Amino acid sequence: MTPEIAEVKQFVIKQMPFSQLPEAASHFFATHLEVIYLTQQNQHQWLRSSELYLYLVRSGSYDLLSASGEVITRLAEGDYFGYPSLLTGEAIKNQLSVSTPGLVYVLNQSNFDFLRREYKLFEQHFVKAHANRLLSSHYKQTRDNWSEQKISDVMSRGAVTLTPDARIVDAAKTMSQHGVSSIIVSEKEQLLGVVTDRDLRNRVLAQERDPHAPLSAIMTRSPKYVFEHNRVFSALHLMLKHNIHHLPVLNEHHVPLGMLTSTDLLRQQKSDPVQLIGNIYKAQGVAQLKLLASEIPELLKSFAYNVEDTSLIGKLLSGLSDALTARLIAIYQQQHGQAPCAYSWICFGSQAREEQTLHSDQDNGLLLPNEVTQAQRTYFANMGEFVCEQLAQCGIKSCPGNIMASNEACRGSMAQWLARFEDWIYAPTPKAMLNCKIYFDLRFIEGYSALYSEFTAKLAKLKKDDLFFAAMATDINTNSVPLGLFQQLKLEKDQQQHKFLDLKRRGVVIINDLVRLYALKAQIYKANTLERLEALLGSNLLNKSDVYDLKDCWRYLTQLRLNNQLEHQHLPENCIDPADLTSLEKHQLKEAFYLIKQAQQACAFKFARGSL
Amino acid sequence: MFAKRWWQKIYKQYQLKQCDFEALDYLVVDIELTGLDAKQNEIVSIAWLAIETGRIDLNSAQYHIHKGVKALEQSPVYHGIDDSMLKEGESLEYLMHALSQALDKKVLVCHSALDWPFIKQAGAMTGISVEPLGMLDTMEIEKRRLHSCGQPIAGDSLTLASCRKRYHLPDYQTHHALTDALATAELLLAQVNAMNAGKRIKLADLF
Repeated sequence: MTPEIAEVKQFVIKQMPFSQLPEAASHFFATHLEVIYLTQQNQHQWLRSSELYLYLVRSGSYDLLSASGEVITRLAEGDYFGYPSLLTGEAIKNQLSVSTPGLVYVLNQSNFDFLRREYKLFEQHFVKAHANRLLSSHYKQTRDNWSEQKISDVMSRGAVTLTPDARIVDAAKTMSQHGVSSIIVSEKEQLLGVVTDRDLRNRVLAQERDPHAPLSAIMTRSPKYVFEHNRVFSALHLMLKHNIHHLPVLNEHHVPLGMLTSTDLLRQQKSDPVQLIGNIYKAQGVAQLKLLASEIPELLKSFAYNVEDTSLIGKLLSGLSDALTARLIAIYQQQHGQAPCAYSWICFGSQAREEQTLHSDQDNGLLLPNEVTQAQRTYFANMGEFVCEQLAQCGIKSCPGNIMASNEACRGSMAQWLARFEDWIYAPTPKAMLNCKIYFDLRFIEGYSALYSEFTAKLAKLKKDDLFFAAMATDINTNSVPLGLFQQLKLEKDQQQHKFLDLKRRGVVIINDLVRLYALKAQIYKANTLERLEALLGSNLLNKSDVYDLKDCWRYLTQLRLNNQLEHQHLPENCIDPADLTSLEKHQLKEAFYLIKQAQQACAFKFARGSL
Repeated sequence: MFAKRWWQKIYKQYQLKQCDFEALDYLVVDIELTGLDAKQNEIVSIAWLAIETGRIDLNSAQYHIHKGVKALEQSPVYHGIDDSMLKEGESLEYLMHALSQALDKKVLVCHSALDWPFIKQAGAMTGISVEPLGMLDTMEIEKRRLHSCGQPIAGDSLTLASCRKRYHLPDYQTHHALTDALATAELLLAQVNAMNAGKRIKLADLF
């Protein structure tokens, strides 16, 4: 046996994580390390990708520099470096700058891996250190990403403003003087409205209105706006969601600073979702819509690599589906006349939660007023038929469960819809629970929003008793995360014996289900899982750290799932082969599943009590 | 015949000294003794570790106690090894056999020239010849470096601890053969790096 050197062992045993590990770990480290003397002259010898090591500083001091030469951190006695590459297998990009030469302990990859296998705490220590390092260097890099830039960096400066009592003709003159397509209407430095050149055409010329009338008569009142310190992505999202091209930018005192236009954003990025969505809204016929829809996968690809927050991808795809749906409804009305009565086109499931993927199928329906006649029903039956059929042709698959407006059951009057929900709540059979999971995630897309608001208000009033929540909690616990008894990943196999993990069914879905239950209990009527969690922060049902844990898990799994979809692996949809993951990703995945498992159990205790 | 062998030996040493420092392997050895005279005193314990391509490999470390010591006398004051510990030790043959294996094709490194006569003596007593590729003495290296800087050399300025202090190396407990071997190895690396200032260093530069 190799004798240990007392001086080395005494030093090692005082360092994290060895101070918390059994003595055998320190002994192993102390008898398997090598000692180097690190100087400015010989440092190139050590940080090389061909041979990866864990480095522990014994004496001297060094600066760790990024590839671009920025100081990441100062290293002195007791500090480690080199572990990110050991964990991820990625090439070493950082360099060292030696302030005082000194002794450094180095441990090679196989010995490092041995300690990771033997001591969970050892691995956790370095995974955490790596995450912290990423976090601190991460924010420096995101600046390069256009969608993460501040709005103040991309907007055109100088707000062109007029007061509401200015005449329409003055607005036209001011706009042409400044060469802008819109004007901010403000009073005492507060935003009141917006007038665009389109308004001059549609609301003045087309209606033969007096051009000497005050601007207040034609402006869009209380328009959507953004703050200068918001990210470009928030602006993009607002534009997508409301199909608008001009957004006033305010400072924190709500003083208008300027206008952000979709053209400003176009300048930033060529394949622009705003442009695509704009084109969808302008599409003349079904053929053109289909052509535009065919661009979506390519757009998603170019876009997905550019955003940090993957939850926005789901929003983007849902936004595109919303636009396609709205445009198809408009085309239908052009061909068959305006709708004969109020209606709301609503969506359920992933589209409602705004977490659509390229593989999501349609879940939609029509909400009609109680006094709807048989003839009117026929009109909407045809509309449902047409829209669902065309959506399918645009690449959004038909729903295998037939939750579509083309199905009569999904074209109910308000009373009919309420009766269906009531059935599920009061007779919580497994089938009813399945329906709850789909239908309780709902969102308005097109039509009369007042009708929809009335419906959700009534839906909220339906009394939900403990039995209902217990049934939901029980149902959630019939699904399980793919973790074995010893926290190893449990893989499934397909017919070709490929091993895989289902990230959706056994991860994301469980989080969605848990959050839905808590949201219903807290009477939160939002459909998006992250928004529900945000709202749950204000309730006393879940504590803060649980909310943040669930958010992180959800984001992480969504990200993995998306990366997989983009890379087209030959696995079932939403599934990954853990062999393709780096050891760091594997570790994070296990952590995520573990947290979900705990949340599941907590939910069972809270709502199902002894019944499980 | 003798002249030829002598000449070959000289030439071999010359060739060796033209090698890059890092191209060679080293075995850093430290010995604890009962006294300073190789003819009268004995080896109490011996330890070594290897330096390869500029790295001190702690997995190569070995530490042995010599159980055949006849008289420890006052030496335990320094090294702390007493009679009961000697009993756990190994024979001189075992020690020398392990050392000669470890030294194969390596340059022997010690702090002070005092250790080599003991190794030679033990070699003669056991009939196990120990033939290092060459020899380096970190004390001698330090002495020459201080001379060339024109610094006066005081009585205790060449001890292992004082030398290490000059290179800002950590303080270690002394007089344990294994710790001293590591301390010597680290000192050698620090000396070489202080000397080379960016250029490759040859073994000859250390003489």
